[in-house]
Amino acid sequence: MSAVEVTHITKTFGSLRAVDDASFSIEKGELFGLLGPNGAGKTTAIRCMLDIFKPDSGTVAILGGVMDEAKKALIGYMPEERGLYQDITLERCLNYLGSLKGLNQAQVKKNAGIYLERFDLLAYKGKKVKELSKGMQQKAQIIATLLHQPELLIVDEPFSGLDPINTQLVKDLLREQHQQGVTIILCSHQMNLVEELCERIVLIDHGRALLYGDLHEIRQRFSGHAVVVDTHDRLPALPGIEQVERFNSSYKLTLSPSLQPQEVLKALVQADVNLEGFRIATPSLDEIFIRVVREEAG
Amino acid sequence: MNKTWLVAKQEYQRHVFTRRFLFGLLSVPFFMLILIGLIFMIISMNNNTTPLGYIDQSGLLAHPQPAPPVTPPEKSVPLRAFADETAARQALQAGEIQGYYLIPMDYRSSRKLQAVYLKAIKPFPRQYFYNFLEVNMLAGVDASISKRIMAGDEIIARSLDGSRQMSSKNGWFGLFLPIIAALGFMIAMFTAGGYLMNAVVEEKENRTMEVLLTSISPNQFMSGKIIADILIGLTQILAWLVVIIIAIRLASSRFPFLQGIQVSPQLILLCLVILLPTFVMVSALMALIGATVSDAREGQQMTGLISLPVWIPYMLVALIIENPNSPLAMVLSLLPFTSSLTMLIRQGVTILPAWQIALSSIIVVVCAITATWLAGRAFRLGMLRYGKRLRWREIFQRKAGAA
Repeated sequence: MSAVEVTHITKTFGSLRAVDDASFSIEKGELFGLLGPNGAGKTTAIRCMLDIFKPDSGTVAILGGVMDEAKKALIGYMPEERGLYQDITLERCLNYLGSLKGLNQAQVKKNAGIYLERFDLLAYKGKKVKELSKGMQQKAQIIATLLHQPELLIVDEPFSGLDPINTQLVKDLLREQHQQGVTIILCSHQMNLVEELCERIVLIDHGRALLYGDLHEIRQRFSGHAVVVDTHDRLPALPGIEQVERFNSSYKLTLSPSLQPQEVLKALVQADVNLEGFRIATPSLDEIFIRVVREEAG
Repeated sequence: MNKTWLVAKQEYQRHVFTRRFLFGLLSVPFFMLILIGLIFMIISMNNNTTPLGYIDQSGLLAHPQPAPPVTPPEKSVPLRAFADETAARQALQAGEIQGYYLIPMDYRSSRKLQAVYLKAIKPFPRQYFYNFLEVNMLAGVDASISKRIMAGDEIIARSLDGSRQMSSKNGWFGLFLPIIAALGFMIAMFTAGGYLMNAVVEEKENRTMEVLLTSISPNQFMSGKIIADILIGLTQILAWLVVIIIAIRLASSRFPFLQGIQVSPQLILLCLVILLPTFVMVSALMALIGATVSDAREGQQMTGLISLPVWIPYMLVALIIENPNSPLAMVLSLLPFTSSLTMLIRQGVTILPAWQIALSSIIVVVCAITATWLAGRAFRLGMLRYGKRLRWREIFQRKAGAA
């Protein structure tokens, strides 16, 4: 069953087509990546999903139907830019946002306490939000998003402003939520993190969904007939190799269609090359992203 | 708790429990203290308790009756009779008296006096002496009649149906109380409205609104804000009222005219049927501005569009008081922005026709409802337009909910 079903949505602002006939669906319980360069239309697509914006055409089904007030309590949304009251204490801010999601005082206190401790913010709960550092505010925003234990979590650039330790903390948290069955939409332009966490993705550029599907399949689709050889030795000339690219201590060998990777490995062993690594070359999400966006730009 | 009330509660607490609000709240008692101090200063400047002399050549004061007691007692002055002008002049030069009056033989018919002084006789001693003369002029008259003459007349104007009336004894207080009430109301209205506008702009700017809208509907959000705005304004007014009542209680022992202060039921009625809807209308318009502008500075500039027309009756106050039933006063009484002040000013000097109160109230209520609807619509269209202003045309053109 789909947690979110986006069907041919288009949203324009004046002459700007922010989302252009985009379609994708997010299964219940999956950790889904929403990718795209800055200004691609990711945030507008999210706002359409959340019914903050009405699409000009197309439909959005969320948690089994159209968005309504009851469903808002099941959704946690963390916008790209921090959306917390700056002039009140962190505790009061969490209390207010939690109560708007239908939690009572005791529930807010309990849930906030757990997350504040986990994110090392318990000592700062009495401080005004504006007195917290950027990273702390980011963590506070994440807590506000998770307080009511949502079924659907939409996080827009959650790692922005976080140091490596806190980045790891948030990654662990997202994985944990995923394991608990929460559907997560991770919106980011940090490809390595999406690659690490997500199973399926949609890549949006200029409002259009350019790539959509299983991440492994996408990478397979974009991988050429090539292998990567890690070695400090000089490679001998091998038959059937169409192109050799060198990157420090590794080589990327593009094979002729008739040549199989096993044959290359066998030839290298026979040539007594000191191999440190040998693998099928699959492009990183970064590479796929750049390739697709460039192709799209013509 | 209903989400609208949660928004209202949060907004109320966020603005009321702040140093800025408390400062605004305390500034009124502070200025009242300054005002009371000024009044005392003026009283002392108008007073001089050095004895005042007189030479009676008319025989009026052969067996003088004392002047009626005055409040505060410092406003009375010892009176000293002199046999001739030479003695009085010597006392004046010696500084024993502040001046003297020469009451000529024909005073009873001419009522002409001569005042002799080195420095002008202050108003309070002068008035005290005139009262003294008046009492003695009426010495042969029956005490109750004399008292009645001294008290003067009270003219009561009544409406034809007898439902409303006003008394000339209301005096300056009856005239100024509604104006002061309106002034306080306007200050509270624009202060609270300013909070509301800034809060909406701030929530747009710092993206809090985006988080809120995934929890509540735009209508709940806007209603909560407007309710909080009205409660903030009423808190301010209530606090000021308490201070004013305490101040009047304290001051009434020294200023007896304050003991007779009464708030007319019509003033309360006007507050409920005209001022309160005006408050809602202005709050909604402030929220509308907050939803349409791109930053707080632009919002403050646009606030002038609302505040300027509201203050027009103050600029025309002399004309309205002089002719409270003129076409100008009537038109201003019916226009939604000017009706509150105009009606309150007129209330102090004339009997307001019931139909005008009703029509003015209906107009402002309709405007308040329309402004609230427009604010909700503008909010839905402009809530997430960062750095870009919503054009007024769009509010009317676009389909509802097409944000």
